[in-house]
Amino acid sequence: MARVRRLKFFLWALTGLAAAVGVFRFLFGLGAATNLSDAYPWGVWIGFDVMSGVALAAGGFIVTATVYIFKLERFHVIVRPAVLTAFLGYVAVAVGLLFDLGLPWNIWHMLIYWNPHSPLFEVGWCVMLYLTVLTLEFLPVPAEEISRLASVRRFLVKIRLPLVIAGIGLSTLHQSSLGSLFLIMPEYLHPLWYSPILPVLFLVSAIGLGLAMVIFESHTTAYFYYRKPETHLMASLAAAARWVLVVYLALRFADLAWRGQLHHLAGAGWQVWWFWFELAVMAFVPIAIFSLPQTRRNQTWQWAGALFGVAGVVLNRVNVGGLMHQGRGDRLYWPSWTEITISAGIVSAAVLAFLFFIEHFRVWQERPVDPEADPRKLPELSAVGATWLGVPVVANRTVYSLAFVGAAALGFALIHPQPASSRGIVPVPVHNARGADVLWIDGNLDGYGVAFPHADHEKREGGKKSCARCHHMNLPRDKASPCGVCHRDMYAPSDAFRHDWHAGPRGAALPCVKCHTPGRPRTKETAKTCDQCHKDLVAEGAVIKVKQYQAPSYTEAMHRLCVGCHVERAASRHKPDMPRCAWCHKERRRFVDAPDLDFRGLRAPGSEVVLPPLPESKSKR
Amino acid sequence: MHAAILTDTTKCIGCRECVIACKKENRLPPDLPRRWSRDDGLSARNWTSVVEGPGGAYVRKQCRHCLEPACVASCPVGALTKTDLGPVVYDARKCMGCRYCMMACPYGIPRYDWDQTVPYIRKCILCYETRLKKGRQPACTEACPTKATIFGDRDELIELAKARIREKPDLYVHRVWGEREVGGASVLYISDVDLKFLTYNRELPPEPMPQRTKLAMNAVPFTFAGVVAAMAGLNWIIDRRRKLQEHPEGDEAPQEGRSNG
Repeated sequence: MARVRRLKFFLWALTGLAAAVGVFRFLFGLGAATNLSDAYPWGVWIGFDVMSGVALAAGGFIVTATVYIFKLERFHVIVRPAVLTAFLGYVAVAVGLLFDLGLPWNIWHMLIYWNPHSPLFEVGWCVMLYLTVLTLEFLPVPAEEISRLASVRRFLVKIRLPLVIAGIGLSTLHQSSLGSLFLIMPEYLHPLWYSPILPVLFLVSAIGLGLAMVIFESHTTAYFYYRKPETHLMASLAAAARWVLVVYLALRFADLAWRGQLHHLAGAGWQVWWFWFELAVMAFVPIAIFSLPQTRRNQTWQWAGALFGVAGVVLNRVNVGGLMHQGRGDRLYWPSWTEITISAGIVSAAVLAFLFFIEHFRVWQERPVDPEADPRKLPELSAVGATWLGVPVVANRTVYSLAFVGAAALGFALIHPQPASSRGIVPVPVHNARGADVLWIDGNLDGYGVAFPHADHEKREGGKKSCARCHHMNLPRDKASPCGVCHRDMYAPSDAFRHDWHAGPRGAALPCVKCHTPGRPRTKETAKTCDQCHKDLVAEGAVIKVKQYQAPSYTEAMHRLCVGCHVERAASRHKPDMPRCAWCHKERRRFVDAPDLDFRGLRAPGSEVVLPPLPESKSKR
Repeated sequence: MHAAILTDTTKCIGCRECVIACKKENRLPPDLPRRWSRDDGLSARNWTSVVEGPGGAYVRKQCRHCLEPACVASCPVGALTKTDLGPVVYDARKCMGCRYCMMACPYGIPRYDWDQTVPYIRKCILCYETRLKKGRQPACTEACPTKATIFGDRDELIELAKARIREKPDLYVHRVWGEREVGGASVLYISDVDLKFLTYNRELPPEPMPQRTKLAMNAVPFTFAGVVAAMAGLNWIIDRRRKLQEHPEGDEAPQEGRSNG
């Protein structure tokens, strides 16, 4: 039974990948994990997971109706697989919805906050109730195996008929209400898809394609478990599905004709081609396959027809659910790989659950003989790493775990940790500067501004070509560089000189020309040196070079510790040089410039404080 | 009184004072990256914006506070409500994040906190909590230096709008946007250019959007009852037929016999 093993390996890997992405989605939010935006609030999780999932799970209510209401007993063998498919399908829908909701922990709010006018409210309630019904319908199957649940099982079998009828009613409601969701947005949905009878179209297509899903599921599992296919039974289902699809086609075209919208078919645009493509996949091809007797009774053809039907309904739901919406934005929505991975992972997990139920309970008449659980089989070397992994049952689980964990690791590796990246460059026309030559810039609105000579800057930087040096047009929403980007030395704190203390309103508030020569570029090089003002602090002839800046905290801390006392006690000790810089920086210069402190980044090489020797008498002390 | 806003685009100079006032009043943080927003300047962090219309006209964009809003009708948990005072307000505690309101709004107004792990719907609420309840006008209309966007009672503003159009018939397009489209709105516009671009170049129909789902939603209980009744009836008929087939002389006799015995 290598087929099942390969399938499970693949499914476990997909589930593992989705688990990693799922963690990412709940940690960083919807915007980071999806390509959804204000223009496209709904994406593939609604179109595929929810809307297609519900439609494909329609097989459950159709088959139960066939068997328990219409009493066509020969279909009894497919009731359990169909109910199980529906049950797991709805669980998958619920899980998919949890991923899609922005606040999934509030999903129960629909129970207490009611808005009966909303189609989504109706869908939510019906899905909840129908999931309960499906659970009760399927529970007798696992209950068979547990003797303690025998009385529960008997009770559930007794109330089966009301359950089936309730299930049919609920399915009718929410299958159609999924179509009603889009009645409120006629101005977005393309006229070839929008119709006042969308609820009816959704219901009819769900019936036809729920049947297709039953056929697809039956043949696929038959293939994987080397089972005798139920070709004869499926041929009857195919015949029924054909008529339902014919009715669907008739309804759709009659509706277009009735409302006078047929002229859109003659119009240009890829949407028209897409319309025909959708109908071909969803109706024309399946109808053709299910109509010809040769193909209808052939197993492979049945499977192909059902596959077309399933693909078609997904296509239709995705089209109505978002792809065929117009005017929502300039860009077309395309799902990100994370979205697709989550969807695939949910389906994989549902399939794995399906296989589990098939292997462990009597979903079919007979349980499949599973070599996975057969320890009598001869041990063999695993393909993975050619190592002995134990007896087959252990080996298989080891391989599945490896698939899951490996894929999850791959997922974590692939996820891009920059959720807020820009979508790209948006061209913006360039204007000339609108203000006068001199702009008044007061960014923090504290009343202390600075006159910015725009024309001078432009001239100095090299004319019109230099705009981009400050105005970064490639950065979205970037108006211009702040002054500090170029005039870094004005704001960067240094251990020796703080510009904002000197110039800022909270500091000395000196005018620029106090240090900079008027009319010349105001740079560090052209400014006065420290000793020209601070005659009392700096010894005569000292040269203080600060080539590189460093964090001020260390210097401040040391100075606060020492300088206070030095100033205070200079007079009383009769040592007038004590408060001066050179008093300490000469004597203990190894604390500042010693090479063994370089590694701490306190002072990078080449940025030394050079001090001339003080007069003999003072240095001796 | 029904709170409303009238925006006269001919008076707007595009200074964006309203945008700044809105951001300050509602304490909105810096804008979201562009990948999540449409190109109209609105986002979860910008509840109003000034967009450039045809011919360079400045048009202020914000929630229209429809009289019969599609967002209110679509919200499954009733997190959005139209208040008696006029604005459509949002209760974040009820919201479950389905984003159906964003899909339904014909003006494309509600926006989402895409960058948040716990996201909410965001849109203009006409300063309902901070100002309107206390009898003050919204921050945007208060801030407008040219009185291009003004606050008042809806009926009075419609009268005023029509008076302005009568006064300068050559200047204005003879139409008050928001008076009738999709059942009318609390935010009105008069303009010298066509404002179709605000609704993505579509003419909106006069009937309210929720009416389109009303028919389907009203049919829900009847459909359910009908389907259930039909299924129960079919079940009964088919059962009876089968019994008659099995006991062609009638199924009453054996039952009677059993009950007698």
